[in-house]
Amino acid sequence: MFKKALLALPVAMAVGVAGTAAQAEWQDPNDVLQKLLEAQPDSKYLHQSEMNIMMMPDNPALYLLDDGEELFYKERGPNNVSLEACDFGKGEGVLEGAYVRLPRYFDDVGKVMDFEQRLVHCMKEIQGFTEDDSAVSQRHGSGSDIMRLTTYIAHQSSGYEWDLPLDHPEEQAMRDAGEVLFFRRGGAMDFNCASCHGQSGKQIRASVLPEMRNSQEWTKAVSWPAHRAGQDNVRSQNHRIRGCLWQMRHAGILPDTPVNTALISYWNDAARGEPAILPDLKR
Amino acid sequence: MFNKNTVAAGVAAFASVALAAGCAVADGNKADDVDITAMSADELAEHLIFETGSWRDQEMQEGGTWADRMTQDEIQKACSFDNTRNDLDGEVAGKVVALAREQYEAPEGDIELGDWRKGAELADSGYGYRIGHNIDDHGTREPGGNCYNCHVMDSSVSVQGTIGPNLENYGAQRGDSQEIRQYVHQVISNPHQYFPCGEMPRFQGLLTEEQISHIMAYLLDPESPVNNR
Repeated sequence: MFKKALLALPVAMAVGVAGTAAQAEWQDPNDVLQKLLEAQPDSKYLHQSEMNIMMMPDNPALYLLDDGEELFYKERGPNNVSLEACDFGKGEGVLEGAYVRLPRYFDDVGKVMDFEQRLVHCMKEIQGFTEDDSAVSQRHGSGSDIMRLTTYIAHQSSGYEWDLPLDHPEEQAMRDAGEVLFFRRGGAMDFNCASCHGQSGKQIRASVLPEMRNSQEWTKAVSWPAHRAGQDNVRSQNHRIRGCLWQMRHAGILPDTPVNTALISYWNDAARGEPAILPDLKR
Repeated sequence: MFNKNTVAAGVAAFASVALAAGCAVADGNKADDVDITAMSADELAEHLIFETGSWRDQEMQEGGTWADRMTQDEIQKACSFDNTRNDLDGEVAGKVVALAREQYEAPEGDIELGDWRKGAELADSGYGYRIGHNIDDHGTREPGGNCYNCHVMDSSVSVQGTIGPNLENYGAQRGDSQEIRQYVHQVISNPHQYFPCGEMPRFQGLLTEEQISHIMAYLLDPESPVNNR
């Protein structure tokens, strides 16, 4: 025990010096949530739904995991291959800790991609699906391939701290543009994202809103996929962005697009250093 | 509110210049030829919005395209700062108040209150102007005021939001003079006249004058439940 601590010390120092002290250990999503609740006993956002907190060990999103795993390893599509050749940034088929390190720059496409964009890219390029195949065109619902795969892959990063890379100039550029977009007032009703997420403990009707500057609220806010109790379906980060812009009376955003990716880059960066709850359960 | 045509024309001109200069429009799958690292964050944000095919091609309820709706007017531009870290600059505040006064159209003559019952329905309704995967159809249902989203007005009817101030007993505390009516009309129509860069939308142009008169009745009529809390 003590020897381990002695050994761990120089390692921790080395890691600290290297500046990559991010959590690299899987944790059960309910354990991540419980720690956040303990750390922030006064957060109205985190504590708003006793029912959802109670239900967390039985989160319906967990029922997608087996199907998602099967879909990932199954030989599918016109090319009849699995997704094991897909590189989410940590190497082909490496899923552990990959989800929290997105969006990132990919050499093979020469640009920054968010998670869903990368997943769809792999399904097309590796498995040979086309835009018209329901495997990639159906982006909604707990029964869709995309949501099942998303839940399984994201789950492999549960408890890992958000730690998207910003070393490549395009990664930094997209994150910085995402910040501008977050505060850019526009649309029919003049809202920006901070209209709802700039202050602590505020409500839109019955919904308590997460504050973007409170990273422990924000990690839950961006922890998608999550089962939405009110919609009885698992939803993604893309769905949250789409829903926000819809309520904000901006234009209708499309998935796999640069505006979407830039916003997610800024979101995930704002949760940097906090463990992700994957999958989460929301109201 | 929607007098953005001159600004939109400028953006369109800029876009065509950029295209002529050989900038490819991203198709969402291939890297384009634009060096995004050569732009400032502000430039890149505008580029992403207007040049990368990130939006559905739909006609907005107020008319126009997604590009018209996503083009900022002067007030939106001036208010696009990080208000979680920076206070509103005094010079910007003065500019925004002046722009808002310029935009505001005052009603002619005395202001009459409408029907507070209709105002209550409008205050509760969050319908209108939403577009994308679901489209609010103004032909089948009128847009609402969204008031309950952010304000408590009559806490007995439903859970109401807290982004804006609590308005219970608003009229009971202030009376119902022409001066108060003028002030309330100004705030609902274009709140930046008094609260520069505040969160509240400018409802002149989004709601009809008649709808605004109903919401004003809900706030000011002594009979309204708002004033009997």
